Formats: sequence, C-alpha cells, structure tokens
Amino acid sequence: MIIVESLVKNFGSFPALRNVSFEIKKGEIVGFLGQNGAGKTTLMRILTSYLLPSSGKVTVGGYDVVRNSLALRQKIGYLPETPPLYLDMTTRDYLRFAAQLKNIPAARERLQIDKVLEECDLKDVANKTIGILSKGFKQRIGIAQAIINDPEVLILDEPTNGLDPIQILQVRKLIKNLEHKQTVILSTHILSEIQQIAQRVLIIKAGSVVADDLLPNLLKKENQTSLENVFLKLTS
Amino acid sequence: MNKIFAIAAKELKAYFKSPIAYIVLIITISIFNLFFFMVIDENRESTLRDIFKVMEFLFVFIVPLLTMRIFAEEKSTGTMEFLMTTPTSNTVIVFGKYLGSLLFFSLIIGFSFSYYLIIEYFGHPDRAATFLGYLGLWLEGAMFIAIGLMTSSWSRNQIVSAMCTYVILIFLYFAIGFIKYVSTTLEPLIQYVGVLTHSENLTNGVLATSDIIYFVSIILFSLFITRISIENRLWR
Repeated sequence: MIIVESLVKNFGSFPALRNVSFEIKKGEIVGFLGQNGAGKTTLMRILTSYLLPSSGKVTVGGYDVVRNSLALRQKIGYLPETPPLYLDMTTRDYLRFAAQLKNIPAARERLQIDKVLEECDLKDVANKTIGILSKGFKQRIGIAQAIINDPEVLILDEPTNGLDPIQILQVRKLIKNLEHKQTVILSTHILSEIQQIAQRVLIIKAGSVVADDLLPNLLKKENQTSLENVFLKLTS
Repeated sequence: MNKIFAIAAKELKAYFKSPIAYIVLIITISIFNLFFFMVIDENRESTLRDIFKVMEFLFVFIVPLLTMRIFAEEKSTGTMEFLMTTPTSNTVIVFGKYLGSLLFFSLIIGFSFSYYLIIEYFGHPDRAATFLGYLGLWLEGAMFIAIGLMTSSWSRNQIVSAMCTYVILIFLYFAIGFIKYVSTTLEPLIQYVGVLTHSENLTNGVLATSDIIYFVSIILFSLFITRISIENRLWR
C-alpha cells in the first residue's frame, strides 16, 4: 500500500529525513514513534504530498507523491498535528466543505456527513460554530474530516493530543474499529497508546528509522519487557 | 468546477462572518454616497465619470484590507495543510479564492448602481459611457484583487500581505505622476504601467482593446504567480 524507498528530505542544509525506507501493507496499523523533531511530522507530510521529497521514491496505493499527487490525495485521509479547522464555520458546514473538496458526490454528501458525525460522536455540536468548541471536539472534528471520504489510508498526527482520558479511549476505539478496512499510520508520544492500537512500530531518531518491526518481535529482539525501555534504549 | 464554487462560497461566507465585511461595506458605501452627492452638487451633470474616479482611488486603500487574509490566514491557522492535502488542484484553489473575493467586490460596486438609477431618473446620462465606466471600474478592482491575492500567498502574516499590496497598488496608481522625473526612454513604459492611463479611457467612455489586455494580463499574471507561490513549499 505504501512504499517508501531511500527517502531524503532536507530543509536547507538541515537533514530532516535521511535515507528512510519501509513498506506498509494494506490493513496494517503502524505507529510512528520518536522524540520531538525526529521527523515524524515531516514524514507524514511527505506521505500526504504536502511536502515534496528531496530525493527518493514514495508511492501510496500505487500513486507517486510527486507525479500523481491528486490521485494519491483521493486515497488518503489526513489529520495534521493541529486540526485544520475554519473556526467561523459550523461543524456541519465544515464537513460539507471537506466532502465537496474530497469529491464526494452531492447525493452521498449528507449520508457521509451524518455517518462521521455519528462515528466521532459529534451529533450534539453539528450546528455549533467550531470556534467555541473545546479542544476535544476540535480534535474529533479533525478526525471526522479525515475519514469522511472513507480513505484507504488514514494518516493521523498525534490524534489523541489534548484529549481527556475518556475521549482518548473513544478515539482509540474509533481507530481500532477501522482495523482491516483501512491502513492506518499514527504518531504519538504516548507509548502505551502505540501498544494498544498499533501492530507495528517504526521508531525514528534524527531523521532515520532505527527500528521497524511488529511489536512482540521488537520486544524480543531488543530483549526488553516494555516498549518504553526499547524506546529509551534506541533513541537516547 | 463545482469545487471552485464551493471554495468561492466558503470565502464569501467567511467575509460575512467577520466584522471586516460589514465595516468595509458601510464605510465604503457611505464615502461613495457622500462623494456622489458632492460631485453631482458641484458639477450638475448627469454623469458618473467623476464619481468613478473617486471610487477607483478608494479601492487602492480598500482592496488590500479585503484580500490580506485570503491565503495568509489559511497558512497561519494550518488550514492550508487541509486544503492542499485534499484532491483539489492548486489552480482550482486559486480560482475559487479569487472568485469569492471578486463576488464580494462586485457587491460593493453593485450598491453604486443606485447612483445610475438616480441620474437616469433626473437626467439623460450617456448609457454606453456609463456602462464602460462600470466595466473599467470592475476590471480595475478585479486587477487589484488579483494582486492582493498574490501578495497574500507570499506570507502567513496578514499585515505583511496588506503592506505589499499597498506598495504595488500605490505604485501602479500614482505611476503617471512620476513621469516627469524619469528619462524620456522610460516614459512610455511608465505611461503603460500606470493604471490611470487605462482606466481613464474607460471612464471617459472609450473602449480600447489595449486597455482590456492590460487589465486581463495583469490579472492572469498575478493568478499565475499565486499558483506558483502556493505550490512552492518554502513559502508555506
């Protein structure tokens, strides 16, 4: 589904990603782990074709990020680190705008909007202006926007950031429910979260992938009992 | 095509959700009304020629306020990342945004149509000349907006964008005033670049292809630069 081959991204003279290669199969749930500034967000932005790679080849669903970016974007749903919301719109208007931009036929628009409002538990705030809502609602509207076109690949940059424990559980459940239908990539600082949601972990350190394996294999290989220890060992 | 309208509608709604739209509308129309009265009272002529000149002068100062937020706001709130990761081409985004602002501007001009009705009721204005005057005014505004859109795509700061627009518009507007200070070889160039050279013909009721070409080519050039600059990842 996702193939990344010797990907390099430089910001001026600063190397944000150095020679990153990996492959993600359909239906996998992969967690990106890394310290702040390790390159997780940059990697996600390249996968969504928001940033262009300096060199290397990246394809999502068979589409190249540089040459077929429009077709590629049709296949993905993306939640950036800060939910990209128009604060003066109502939730429903915003989701309608997202549906229009994501080529959802007008006949199915209402259906899809109602579906994501239900899935993200947003029905009560459907007609409220986004600007007055709490962080938890905003985050969930961001997720609703990402899944509105039933994307094959879902890319979530810190999806549980700023949520309270109950909302975190809801978001995790939401992601779990997508399992096998969609390929999911998420990044987070919360290690236990990765353990609960992801099957596979990709640890990034200073722009390089230092570990990429299924969770149990990784623990066995590094001879550690918890992901936290693995993370500390590999990134410090 | 539908997406262009979706973006334009979103832009237009955004104007009316912020106080700036109402402030601009009320102030502009009040000033126009005042000048309409003064000009008619002074000249006692059934023509809108002089009021058009006042209006185009005011547009130099109003348009940057209307256009400064278009891209700068999207960049600073992070919604640009949303727009650019939906399967929407940059050309569609630029045209949609442009259309939205153009419609708002057309509304301002639309209000001044009452002046025409008044002079038509009390006198015998030259209809063709009035129509050309409106065309000139609209084309000039459309050009100013395209320039404002372009500078808005350069920065994430609305003030920077407004200032850049002011510099360009003031240069174009007062260009012919500089003629006496430049060498004779530069004179035709400055004459051509100056916006008044072209708008004056139209407000005087003279239709020349070269004037239309001037406006349309600057509009297309500005939109083209806008498209390049939102594509350029360095400026995000």
